[in-house]
Amino acid sequence: MTETPKDEGYRILRTSGLTMRFGGVTAVDNVDFELRDGELRCLLGPNGAGKSTFFKCLTGQLVPTEGRVLLKEQPITGLNTHEIVNMGVGIKTQVPNVFDGISVYENVRLSARRKHTVRIARDVAEATIEKCGIRHLIRREVGQLAHGQRQLVELAMVLAASPDLILLDEPAAGMTGDERDRLAQLVLEAARSAAVIVVEHDMQFIRQIAKFVTVFNRGAIFREAMIDDIMRDRAVQEIYLGKQADAAA
Amino acid sequence: MEKPLTRDPGFWIMVGIGLALLVLGPIFIDMFTIMQITQYVVLSVFALSLAYIWGFGGILSFGQAAFFGLGAYTFAVSSISIGDTTLPLVLSFAIPAAFGVALGYFMFYGKLSDVYLGVVTMVVTLIFWKLANHTAGPEYSIAGVRLGGFNGIPSIPTINFPGQPDAWLDPAQLFRFFMAVLVVVYVVLRILIASDFGRISIGIRENETRAALLGYDIRRHKVIVFALGSGIAGLSGAMWATYQSFIDPNAFSMEMSAKALIWVMAGGVGTLLGPILGVIGLQWLTLKLGMMELLNSLVVLGAIMMVLVLALPKGLVPTVKSACLAGWALWRRGRGVSASAKKVTSDD
Ligand SMILES: Nc1ncnc2c1ncn2[C@@H]1O[C@H](COP(=O)(O)OP(=O)(O)OP(=O)(O)O)[C@@H](O)[C@H]1O
Ligand SMILES: [Mg+2]
Repeated sequence: MTETPKDEGYRILRTSGLTMRFGGVTAVDNVDFELRDGELRCLLGPNGAGKSTFFKCLTGQLVPTEGRVLLKEQPITGLNTHEIVNMGVGIKTQVPNVFDGISVYENVRLSARRKHTVRIARDVAEATIEKCGIRHLIRREVGQLAHGQRQLVELAMVLAASPDLILLDEPAAGMTGDERDRLAQLVLEAARSAAVIVVEHDMQFIRQIAKFVTVFNRGAIFREAMIDDIMRDRAVQEIYLGKQADAAA
Repeated sequence: MEKPLTRDPGFWIMVGIGLALLVLGPIFIDMFTIMQITQYVVLSVFALSLAYIWGFGGILSFGQAAFFGLGAYTFAVSSISIGDTTLPLVLSFAIPAAFGVALGYFMFYGKLSDVYLGVVTMVVTLIFWKLANHTAGPEYSIAGVRLGGFNGIPSIPTINFPGQPDAWLDPAQLFRFFMAVLVVVYVVLRILIASDFGRISIGIRENETRAALLGYDIRRHKVIVFALGSGIAGLSGAMWATYQSFIDPNAFSMEMSAKALIWVMAGGVGTLLGPILGVIGLQWLTLKLGMMELLNSLVVLGAIMMVLVLALPKGLVPTVKSACLAGWALWRRGRGVSASAKKVTSDD
């Protein structure tokens, strides 16, 4: 069923048998996932499919119950979050994790400062803020911003560190149409110099960026195919509808 | 928030007041009052130790007295046995700081949650207090100095000039020396807080997950912050020991830890000035209440604390600051409305 090309080249990310259980709930179930360097991948799946948990396992926020994660062909299972991040990973979490009490500028600068000297960090922060279209908010405290704006701030924090692997968990949530279009441009641009995985529910947004797509269901990989095939896939439609029916009930 | 320290008038005003008091205080103020102020100065250093780790590192410790007491005992033992106070002052910073590294390593690398952190720091303080009380027998002596159990250690020397064990500071000189210590601690902390290290600490306080997701090692960061606070608390303990020329296990008491918490809360978490004002205000109040002998001063203090928490939940300094800012904005708006239209547009 899968159409992933199975050559044995370099992978920026591989998981094998990745499993995360919370008591009786298996949130991620035996996932074998591969991502090529520079690839842009969309990760879809109904609520509770395990997408965010998958991301947490990749970034050391959760230690997987079983299985392995290879980042740049190096095993990272059990490493601390900051160690994994310093290998070149950036993540925008589903619930924005930002520094609420300080300014937009300082948020982004602290991200750039991890890798750069004081001077360069300042320039990188300003350039990234400009690029993300939040220049007018630069002095504002992040805690006072609207949800979509906070999403952009967090994205700027991720981009300012220029990671090789970017994980974006529902980046378009809470955004206005304009903000979402800009986001799509930013994601496409970022994908030119990094591998990117985007989790989204917003179909309009997905159509703007998606090529190859992985669909999760109940913690496991359900399909991997090009976006057009996924959209036509009856089984995929059903798992989404099934979940919505469950929710409505 | 991001303007450099050198361009912050508040910083220069604080340093100016400190230095003015240092120089002019003993000239214009009577000796009895100076000695009273000396006590506030010592306790201010202690308050700053908690103000720093709590307000700028997000570490809420219920055991600041453990380090205060450790510094006091370190100073007492080493100054009596050495006969000079210079090295003991250094030790009273270094030994509590080293202990802070050890305890911090255990707590932060062990990923203790905030609640357990509070419990552990409190229990460590209690253990120290118990231990110190159990050292009554002659077998409990360090470098020939008996720890004295609940009787404590008497005859702790006054600070002397470096290398001149017999040249003791008189009360005015002691006041000046302690005032200098307070100013130095304040300046060092302000520089540290304004540095990138300090900015990252604030980031960790705001959101640990994000700090880690940016690649910062929050455990190591917190250990450093905690140890520095421990060292400063230890130094203030040594100042207390020499000021009183006597120390007993109550240096390790929960009351001592609680006082630090109250000063910082009353003055405002996230400021350094606030906790100093907290020391002055609440110690002065305790003194007055003690003289009236009407009520147990602790009870009254507790009541005042509750009122403060309800009336000024953010503490004195942040409340006054935001009130001033709001007043300033109102005043500017008022002027803007009465003035010409271009004044209003320039407000953007
Ligand atoms: N810390 C946790 N403890 C217990 N169960 C959890 C925990 N985190 C997630 N789960 C469960 O794991 C499953 C997967 O959750 P996850 O958040 O990964 O889904 P998701 O695909 O990101 O969903 P959504 O689209 O709603 O964000 C859910 O059933 C959830 O309830
Ligand atoms: Mg999710």
